[in-house]
Amino acid sequence: MASDLAIAVTRLALPKGKMLAQTSRLLASIGLGFADYNSKTRIYRMQSDSVPGLTAKMLNERDIPVQVAIGNYDFGICSSDWLQEMQTRYPNSRVYKVADLAYEMSSIYLACSDRSGISLSSLAGADTAWRIVTEYPALAEAAACRMRLRNFRIFPLWGSADAYPPENAELAVLKATDEEELRRLNLQPVKKICSSNACIIANSDSLESGDFSRLMSHFTALINNAALPAEEPERRPPTRQKDTVYRKSEQKVWLALADGHQQAHTINFLEKTEIRLQGYDKDDTQRRPLSNIDWLNIKVIRPQDMPQQVANGNFDLAITGRDWLLDHLYQFPSSPVTSLLDLGFGWVKIVAVVAEQVPADSIEGIKTLIALGKMTPLRMATEYINIADKYLRDRHIQRYRVVPTWGATEVYLPEDADMLIENTETGQTLARHKLKIIDTLFESTACLIGSRQSLAVPRKREKIDQLISIFRKAAAKK
Amino acid sequence: MEIQRCKGARDLLPDDMERFRQVEDAFRNTCISWGYREIKTPTLEYIHLFTATGTLTPSMLGRVYSFLDWDGWGGERIVLRPDGTIPAARLYCENMSGQDIARLYYVTNVFAFEETGASDREKWQCGVELIGDPGPVSDAEVLALAIEASTALGLPKFEIKLSHAGILKALIAELKLDAEARALLLDEILEGNWQALSNARGRSKGIDSILSWLMELKGKSSAFLANLKAMPGISRNLAQEIDRFTAITELIDNLGYKYEIDFTSIRGFEYYTGLCFKIVSGGARICSGGRYDNLIGLVGGIEKPACGFAFYFDQVVALIKPWTRQKAWKTVIVRSPGKASIKSAFSVAATLRRAGLIAELDFSGSQMNARWTVNIQFRPKAYIVRDAVRNVDKAVAEVKDIINFIGGSGNGI
Repeated sequence: MASDLAIAVTRLALPKGKMLAQTSRLLASIGLGFADYNSKTRIYRMQSDSVPGLTAKMLNERDIPVQVAIGNYDFGICSSDWLQEMQTRYPNSRVYKVADLAYEMSSIYLACSDRSGISLSSLAGADTAWRIVTEYPALAEAAACRMRLRNFRIFPLWGSADAYPPENAELAVLKATDEEELRRLNLQPVKKICSSNACIIANSDSLESGDFSRLMSHFTALINNAALPAEEPERRPPTRQKDTVYRKSEQKVWLALADGHQQAHTINFLEKTEIRLQGYDKDDTQRRPLSNIDWLNIKVIRPQDMPQQVANGNFDLAITGRDWLLDHLYQFPSSPVTSLLDLGFGWVKIVAVVAEQVPADSIEGIKTLIALGKMTPLRMATEYINIADKYLRDRHIQRYRVVPTWGATEVYLPEDADMLIENTETGQTLARHKLKIIDTLFESTACLIGSRQSLAVPRKREKIDQLISIFRKAAAKK
Repeated sequence: MEIQRCKGARDLLPDDMERFRQVEDAFRNTCISWGYREIKTPTLEYIHLFTATGTLTPSMLGRVYSFLDWDGWGGERIVLRPDGTIPAARLYCENMSGQDIARLYYVTNVFAFEETGASDREKWQCGVELIGDPGPVSDAEVLALAIEASTALGLPKFEIKLSHAGILKALIAELKLDAEARALLLDEILEGNWQALSNARGRSKGIDSILSWLMELKGKSSAFLANLKAMPGISRNLAQEIDRFTAITELIDNLGYKYEIDFTSIRGFEYYTGLCFKIVSGGARICSGGRYDNLIGLVGGIEKPACGFAFYFDQVVALIKPWTRQKAWKTVIVRSPGKASIKSAFSVAATLRRAGLIAELDFSGSQMNARWTVNIQFRPKAYIVRDAVRNVDKAVAEVKDIINFIGGSGNGI
C-alpha cells in the first residue's frame, strides 16, 4: 500500500522507572500500546502494533529531553522538571513541549533542614557561601542567581539530596510531591522553584519538517485520559526519617554508605565485620543509620557522589566503586581522595563497547573507521563522562562528543551513539543488546576511599586505621 | 574549506591588528596624559565575584562561561572574565586599597555567550576606573576623558547621552515592590525594556507623570533637571538624586560639552549608582560609563566611591579610518642570490632597520610586495637597488647609498 510506505519512521522515547506504569496504561488506553512496554521487559526497542512506522525505546526519563533535543527521537514522554533543567542550561535546545499531561505531579523545592530555620530573607543578604546540593544544577544555579545569593556553590548529585542538610549542605534543590513529603524527610521548604508534571515533548526540527500528524492525532485523547482520575501507581511511601542530626565534632569519623543497587552488597559485606547498624536494611533505610561504634557518623548517599563529598571534606571515608573514584580523579587530578583498601566485592569490568555489526574489534579499528570518515564525530554515550573523555583524549580521537546518560546506556547503540563506556559483570546484557566489547579499560571493585586531609589529622588517623583493619579482616573472608 | 574556528570566535588578521593597535595606542596615550596607569586582570575569576546584587544581572550571569577547575571539587566555579570593571575593583581592593585616589586603565577581552554565534562571544574593551572620589568633579573628569579619547580615536561625530541610576532607583523604590520584584524590574529596565516600568505604574498614580517625563523628554542642559525637580509629586528622595545629577550637569555645562539627558539610555549594568553616560557614534554605542559607589564595598568590603567607563573596541574599530602609519613606513625587500650572501643580506637589512626602514628578507626571490628591492651581488659590497614605482635600477657600493637612494630615513622607530 503506497500510503503506508510514505509514512516516515517516528521515533518515540518512553520513560523507564516510576513513570513507566502510568505511561504504559495511558498509551494502551488510546490504542498506542506497546506489548513490551512494562517494568519486567528486557526489550528496550519496541514497534507499535497499531501505528505503522512508530518505534519506541525505553530510556531513563532524565535522558529523554537531551535525546529528543539532539534529534535522536522525534517525540518523548518525560517529566517536565528534566525538560526545564535542560532548557535552563541550554536555552536554544531544539525541543518543544507539545502538551502537559496531568500525572506525575510534583514540585521542585529549595529546601533546608527543618532545624536550620533558613528563610528567603536570610538568604540574599548573608555572606555565607551557601552549599546547595541537587540533581538539578541548572535550575539551582538560576534560582540562586535570581535570589541574588552573594556566594554559593552548587554540588550536582546523582541523587539522595535529602540526606545532606543540614550537616553537609545548607540547602537542597529537590523534587517532592508536596511540602508534606519534604517534612517527612525532615526538610522545610524555603521556596518553590517550579512545578513538574508528565509532558509530551518533540524535536523542533522534526515538527518543522516531518509529517507526524498521524501520531499527533492521538494526543488529544492522551491529554484527556491523563486528566482522568487514575488509580495511582503503587508507591511505597518513603521511609519516615528519624529526626536526628549529627553534631559537628572533631572526634567523629564521617562514613558514607551506598543506597540503591550497591546497598545490598554493602550490607552483606558489613555483616562480615563486627560493625552493627540500625537503619541500614532494605526495608528501613535511614539517612543516618546508628552503629555500635560511637565515634562513627554514618550517612547513606549515592556511591557516584561519594568521591566529591569526601574531597570537599563532608566525609572522611566512603565505600564506593573504584570506577567512581577514577571518574572523580580524572575530573579533579589533584583531589585529596584516595583508595585506602580494596574490599573485593562488587566486581565489574569497565569496557568500551560498540554494536556487533561495526567492522572493528579494537579501538585501533575504530580509529581507522574514523579516519575513513565514518563515525565522525564519534558519539560516545556513558555514565562515566570523565573516564570516557580521558579514554578518547588519550587515544587521540580527534572529534568526539560525550553525551552523558543516567543509566540503561546499552539501548543507545547503534542508533543514538557509536560507542559506550559501560560496566559489565558477565557481558550477558551487552550480548542481549547485540553489542561487543572492543576494549577493557580496567576492573573495578568496591573500595574504601578516604581523604588525605583526614588522614593528616592524628585523632582521625587512629580511628580510620581501626576501621581499615576491621574492613581488611572482613575482605579476607570469602 | 571547513571552518574549524569556534562558533562566535574571531581571528584578527594583520590589517585588523593594525587598527586594533591604533585604537589601543590612542586610548593609552590619552589615559597616560591624564595620569592613569595601566593594569591587567587575569582572564579567570571566581564566579562569586559577579553574583552579588549590584554586580551582574541574572540574565548576564546566564551567559557567562563558567566551569569547575581541575581542583574544583569544592564546587567553586571559575568564569572567563565577563566584565572589566568588577575585576578592576577586586584588583584595587587586594593590592591598592591604601591609595586614596587610584586612576587606572585597562585594555581587556570579555566573554559572554551569544546564541546565534553570528556576533562575537569574545569582545574587547578599553576602560578606565577613577577610584576614591565621590564626585561630582570626578564624574566630570571621566566624562571629559571619554570625550577626549573619542576625539583622539578619530571618531567622526559623536553624541553624549546622560542618565542617572540614582534617580531610576529612587523611582523604583517608590513603586513599593518587594525586594525580588524590585530587582526583577530593574533587570528588565537594564535589558532595555522600559515598558516594564510603565506596566508597573498604576500602583502609585502620583508618579505617573514623572515616569512619562523620564521616558519621553530629552534634556539639553541643567535647566531640564531644574524643571523636573519642580514637577508636582517629586518626593524628597527623588529631589536629592536630581540635585546630585544637577551638580554634575552644571559642571559639564561650564566645561562647554554638549549632551542630551535621556533617561532611557541607561543599559546593562546593575552596579551604577549615580551618573550614567554613553557615547553614541554612527548609530552605535561606542562607550558607556558612570558612577558605582557600592561596587568596591561589595567586592572587597572597603567602601570606596568610584566611577569609570569603557569603550567597545569592535564598534570603535568599525567607525574609524584605517590607520596609515605602518603603510607610511618604507619597506625594502633584501634579496640574496645564494647561500654565500645570506650573512651579507642579514647585515644589510640590520643597517636599513637601524635607519628606520622596514627590511624584509626574501629567500625565495619572489616577494614583490614592496616598492624597493635590494639585490645583493656576489661581488662584495655591491648592491642593485630597484624602485618599482619609478622603474629604476641603480647599482651602489655602500649601504648608505641604498638609504640615500630610497630617500633617507623612513618614518618608523
